[in-house]
Amino acid sequence: MDTDHNFLKCIASAWPWKSASPDHRSLRIGIPRMFFYYIYPGLWETFFSELGMEPVVSMPSTIRTVEKASQISETEHCLPNKLFDAHLAELVGKVDIVFVPRVLSTLKNHLSCPKFGPLPDAARADIARETKVLSIEIDESRRPLSESLMLLGKQLKSQKSQIRSAISSALRAMESAKNQRVRFRRKKGGLRFLLIGHPYVIHDNFIAGPILQKLKKMGCEVELISFAEDAPAKSYILWSTANLIYHTMKTLSPEEYDGVIQLTVFNCGCDSMMIDTYRGLMKGKNIPFMYLMVDEHLAQSGMDTRVEAFVDSLGWRP
Amino acid sequence: MTYMAIPNIGNYTIALATAVESLGIKAWASTATTPEALKLGIEAAPESVCLPLKAHLGHFIEADRAGVEYAFMINSVGTCRLRYYRHMIDQILKDLGLKIKIFGLGFDGFKPPIVRHFDPGPVTFIKPLFHAVLKIKVIDELEVAAWRTRPIEITPGNTTRVMNKLLVELSESKTMAQTRSLRKKVAGSFADIPVDKEKQPLKVGLVGEISFLRDKCLNKNIEYILGSQGIELKNFFLLGEELENITRIIFLNQSRRKSLSRIANRYLQNSVGGHALDSVANSILCADEGYDGMIHLCPSGCMPEVSVRPILKRVSKDKDIPILEMSYDEHTGGVGIATRLEAFADVLMERRKNGAAAFRKEKARRG
Repeated sequence: MDTDHNFLKCIASAWPWKSASPDHRSLRIGIPRMFFYYIYPGLWETFFSELGMEPVVSMPSTIRTVEKASQISETEHCLPNKLFDAHLAELVGKVDIVFVPRVLSTLKNHLSCPKFGPLPDAARADIARETKVLSIEIDESRRPLSESLMLLGKQLKSQKSQIRSAISSALRAMESAKNQRVRFRRKKGGLRFLLIGHPYVIHDNFIAGPILQKLKKMGCEVELISFAEDAPAKSYILWSTANLIYHTMKTLSPEEYDGVIQLTVFNCGCDSMMIDTYRGLMKGKNIPFMYLMVDEHLAQSGMDTRVEAFVDSLGWRP
Repeated sequence: MTYMAIPNIGNYTIALATAVESLGIKAWASTATTPEALKLGIEAAPESVCLPLKAHLGHFIEADRAGVEYAFMINSVGTCRLRYYRHMIDQILKDLGLKIKIFGLGFDGFKPPIVRHFDPGPVTFIKPLFHAVLKIKVIDELEVAAWRTRPIEITPGNTTRVMNKLLVELSESKTMAQTRSLRKKVAGSFADIPVDKEKQPLKVGLVGEISFLRDKCLNKNIEYILGSQGIELKNFFLLGEELENITRIIFLNQSRRKSLSRIANRYLQNSVGGHALDSVANSILCADEGYDGMIHLCPSGCMPEVSVRPILKRVSKDKDIPILEMSYDEHTGGVGIATRLEAFADVLMERRKNGAAAFRKEKARRG
């Protein structure tokens, strides 16, 4: 019986048009649930599973992740980068290979946060030293995403036709995931807020979770800023997320939203430069604006107090 | 007389002041950010931006209070926060209601707005520029001589005194001929300082963010502290070298960064931004050249420099070279820095002794 099985397997691998990558069939690939997982939602799991690999995404971040992060990560990293290190450490040892792309630009003529540049190198140097790190340079200013994915597929020695179909289904999955806006049901007399911030901040369980829950409990409707739109007009801001937020905020009207909440994280360089710009824009449009900074020592009660105070103060507006 | 405030980049500000004269105006500058200026900047800037922005902003606010009408700021084309400095400083000064006008200077065309505004004649424009480049070269030489002499001087403070005297002379020098004769004097003046020739000082490389490598107020005079600990330095930001590098990029299309990225390739395959790649590559180079240690300076939360720290740690382990990571924020005190540096110097000294002892033992065993 056993010999038969081996024999069949031999035939299958020798068959030219069948099973492009038998060696990757059972390969478990680890995807940290941070940065590029949220920037390209749904893309990576679909892509790798279409190529016949088994994607393993790390668990959503919790207080345990943060505790782990504070032990292993560089002390001066921004919070998402620390969480990224903890997610990576969670995967190391459980999977055959971890995936850390170098995301240099996610929109044409824009740049990403400079911290993404050395991300795979830092992973190789420190936390994922014992594991193989799969990496690809994503620079959409120079080449479109699909080409980068093609190169990634070639790195994995998959067949061209298979990669092509994987790319198209992965891109479709990403589109549908991006267009799915997170909304809470509107209650009578409820307020409507727009939550802005980096995609990996406003979708993260540890960072945004408590605030979203609190707002929901207070009967407010929250809309997370959408990154599904095409490249915005050029401005002095070259960071893609910041420019997208800047342009979205320019088009806001006080009738649409009762307030804008910016969620930022400790030591975020991009946000530290942009907060004043956003605040000025909102002041000009007469839309209430609050910014909440989350760090490792986030206490639910402190956030609750600030959110309550903000929501209450909106009720007293003339 | 019209005055223009220029950003502080350590002793090189003297040369920049000469360059500003090419526009037919006078420079308002100091070679180090004053603590008062830093305080003003901290008050005016958003809380979580990096310290160099606060220093620049404070400097310009101080300039405005002194009645200076113009200022210039270097336009960066990099990926980090420096790129937005000019825009942000402009915005904050406008919000404060200050009248100082800031020009950007950088890669914006043959005749940048600053030149168009003052419109000097070609002769008045070009001569001071050449003079400034000459002064930059002299300052490079001064710095290098000071790093070499300070650790081995017999009377502490001699080198600093000589250097300050020469810098004052340099800033007062009005013509190219004067500067040239001063340049000839440099080597002699440093050679006159009585030194202990037997002493073999520790060698340490300084890498990191440029305004911290250069501004004595921001880095709490780290060069002097290290020098008086008996440590010979190499500071990896010399403006003369940087200018040469830029000329080479423009005329020969050879950037030093290319060779650096080849060196760092095993550890870092991307030129992050700022001087992060330089930090990694220079650390590797210094380790290979037999330096005793490295010191990495950056403002707290600096985007490029902090993100390469795990890589620097790996380099430190692989190449067996200690790397001290220092980050500065507005609450950093000089005494704390001095204590850390003293401890680091002790560690390096002990390492050298042990290493030498082990080497000697090995030699003795082999007979």
